[in-house]
Amino acid sequence: MLSETGHLFIFASTFLSLSLIFFSIKEIKGNKKSSFPVIVSFSKFQLIFTNLSFLTLMGGYIISDFSIVNVYENSHSSKPLIYKISGVWGNHEGSLLLWINVLVIFSFLFFKKNNKHNKEFSLFTLVFQNILILGFFIFLITTSNPFSKIFPIPLEGLGLNPILQDPALAIHPPLLYLGFVGSSIYFSAALSSLLTKFSGKDFGTIIKPWVLISWLFQTLGILVGSIWAYYELGWGGYWFWDPVENSSLIPWFLMTALFHSVLVLEKRNGLYLWVIILSILTFTMSVTGTFLVRSGILNSVHTFANDPTRGLYLLIFLSLMVFLSLYIFYRYAPSENKKFELFSKEFFILTNNWFMSFFLITVLIGTIYPIFLEVLTNQKISIGPPYYNTVLAPFLIPVLFLMGYGPKSSWISSKPVKEKNILFILVVSTLLSVILIYFLNNKNFLINLVLIFSTYLVLQTIFDLYKSIKKKHVLNYSSNYSSFFSHLGFGFLIFFISLNSIMSIEHDFNLKIGEKKQLKNITINFKKLDSFEEKNYQKIVGEIEVINAQEKTTEVLKPEIRVYNQPETITYEASIKSNILSDTYVTMSNISKENIYNIKFQKKPFMNMIWLSTILIVLGGSFRILTRKSL
Amino acid sequence: MKKIKVLFLTLIITFSFAKILKADEDLNNKIYKNLRCLVCQGQSIADSNSDFAQTIKSVVKDQTKNGMKEDEIYSFLSEKYGDWILYKPPLKNKSYILWALPYIFFIIGAFIIFFILKKTIKIRKY
Repeated sequence: MLSETGHLFIFASTFLSLSLIFFSIKEIKGNKKSSFPVIVSFSKFQLIFTNLSFLTLMGGYIISDFSIVNVYENSHSSKPLIYKISGVWGNHEGSLLLWINVLVIFSFLFFKKNNKHNKEFSLFTLVFQNILILGFFIFLITTSNPFSKIFPIPLEGLGLNPILQDPALAIHPPLLYLGFVGSSIYFSAALSSLLTKFSGKDFGTIIKPWVLISWLFQTLGILVGSIWAYYELGWGGYWFWDPVENSSLIPWFLMTALFHSVLVLEKRNGLYLWVIILSILTFTMSVTGTFLVRSGILNSVHTFANDPTRGLYLLIFLSLMVFLSLYIFYRYAPSENKKFELFSKEFFILTNNWFMSFFLITVLIGTIYPIFLEVLTNQKISIGPPYYNTVLAPFLIPVLFLMGYGPKSSWISSKPVKEKNILFILVVSTLLSVILIYFLNNKNFLINLVLIFSTYLVLQTIFDLYKSIKKKHVLNYSSNYSSFFSHLGFGFLIFFISLNSIMSIEHDFNLKIGEKKQLKNITINFKKLDSFEEKNYQKIVGEIEVINAQEKTTEVLKPEIRVYNQPETITYEASIKSNILSDTYVTMSNISKENIYNIKFQKKPFMNMIWLSTILIVLGGSFRILTRKSL
Repeated sequence: MKKIKVLFLTLIITFSFAKILKADEDLNNKIYKNLRCLVCQGQSIADSNSDFAQTIKSVVKDQTKNGMKEDEIYSFLSEKYGDWILYKPPLKNKSYILWALPYIFFIIGAFIIFFILKKTIKIRKY
């Protein structure tokens, strides 16, 4: 029953999408009888039907309707309600439906917001957005139908992968999708802007909030994913340069470059073509990322359910997207002649874009190089954290400096910022860092430099903030607060990541119950082991006492080994005692058929500060959206 | 006066940070992190609980004990398992491009910015 309803909604939305394309083109051509009211109401119905199709699938999960294959394969009646709901996007078909929903929501909101003043522009945007929607609907119906039926109806479902049964992971995909797919709207708007010869300045003003919104969600999505990886995967790591992490980072770099450039477009009517290129690239890269993940080309923790036909479809769709954009770009792009003075704000934004492009290209090369190498020469290589750290880290130093220096410059001006305090702050931060480095006894020159410059960025930003509050520029420069907070957050982020990488401790050893392990000042006491039955799994809980002689503290940690029944899987749950300065992190695993357990003990300093810094970056961005008079 | 206060506050905070546990350079852990667990989905040897990871760990432990250098261990393992096991691709024929490309793009970027500036300066002259 739900399956039929779902099909109905999907087909209705697909039809509406086709009609929207048809009527919008008709309207643009200018008929006597305006079909504009039809378009408005159709776009509303499209939103309603698409959302209903998603709710229908969710309903299937909630009532455990196993006549739907997708529910049968990914759910189980004994699962807690929240994981029944999050199970909807914990698989390929459901997440694709979510993807389409985001496309439609953004399409509707953008059209609603802009159709009064810029009719032709928003109609073209609607056409392009609906071409995307249509493309994904066809993809959904032909290769990944979430409403396919199964007969005879199974009594019980197969269950959701247990590592996905987690609150952070319940919200991670929707957040990322709002970012990834949110970028579709400025992809469509960019093409539309070229076709309608729209004013660059207005284009900048119109897409700015959308860029910011998608950037915000992308950042949050990456953050939540990192937090999840940190406590759920049991590595103690939070970023692994996994190809799929990379494919969320690539659009992030683009979005960051984009909303800096949009400022130039808005304020100085410059960089129009570059903004267009970035807008097109962001969504293209999002789809590329999806293609890489869903086609199963990549070897990663994220790879679930892959199928060559899906890959092929996405590849064709992607190529069409790229060719269409290239054609429109070359056919309609106006020529641009804009002045850029050295030391002006627009110059520094250009520099920002230069570095972002470099980061982006490095990550992109690192992600796809092994694929090409394997296809061409049949040789397999791995590209992991050491590659990215080696190539990217040195470039953080100029970026950190420019992030402190750049925002002080003004538009158009060609003179360097005249302030003695830059040198002063640089000296102070070097001094502070040297003291810190001395205490940490760190000999890695590069990390030391990064520490110095991240300290500089933090101090410089705080100093500027303090100065502007003192001068009471609060009202005039409200949008500058946004860059203060974001840049401050970034400075802190790099500072704490560096400290974390220097100061982390990791020990790996085998213990029997009742045994102790002595590490310098820390005693680890494996006290006991208990076994419990839970609703959908059985767990073995170890009790491990960590006694720190130096700090005179005792912590009790309880790592778990879980045996899930549906589907049968073993997972290792880390136990983390977290406080503001340092986390104690213990994982335990059994060594086959013996009563010896492998215990991994880690001290991870400043983890919470890393998360908080990222939240500060996000706060900066939201500040800019909130202080706008209208969205 | 205020500046001095701020400075002192920063110093105090810095010192209290520095008191936290110092990390010892652990070569073994570093090596584990740079090796791929071949039987897992995108995990390093350091992060994996699999039997394969345990074996590699004990091999690495023995080798560092016997005084083998980091690079020697990497080349030993890549001879045995192929370069697939190394997260840092060694500089060889097949990876020259990989290591060079990012820098090439960076330099191209520099040229682009340079030309934009040059154009501006020219326009200003006329």
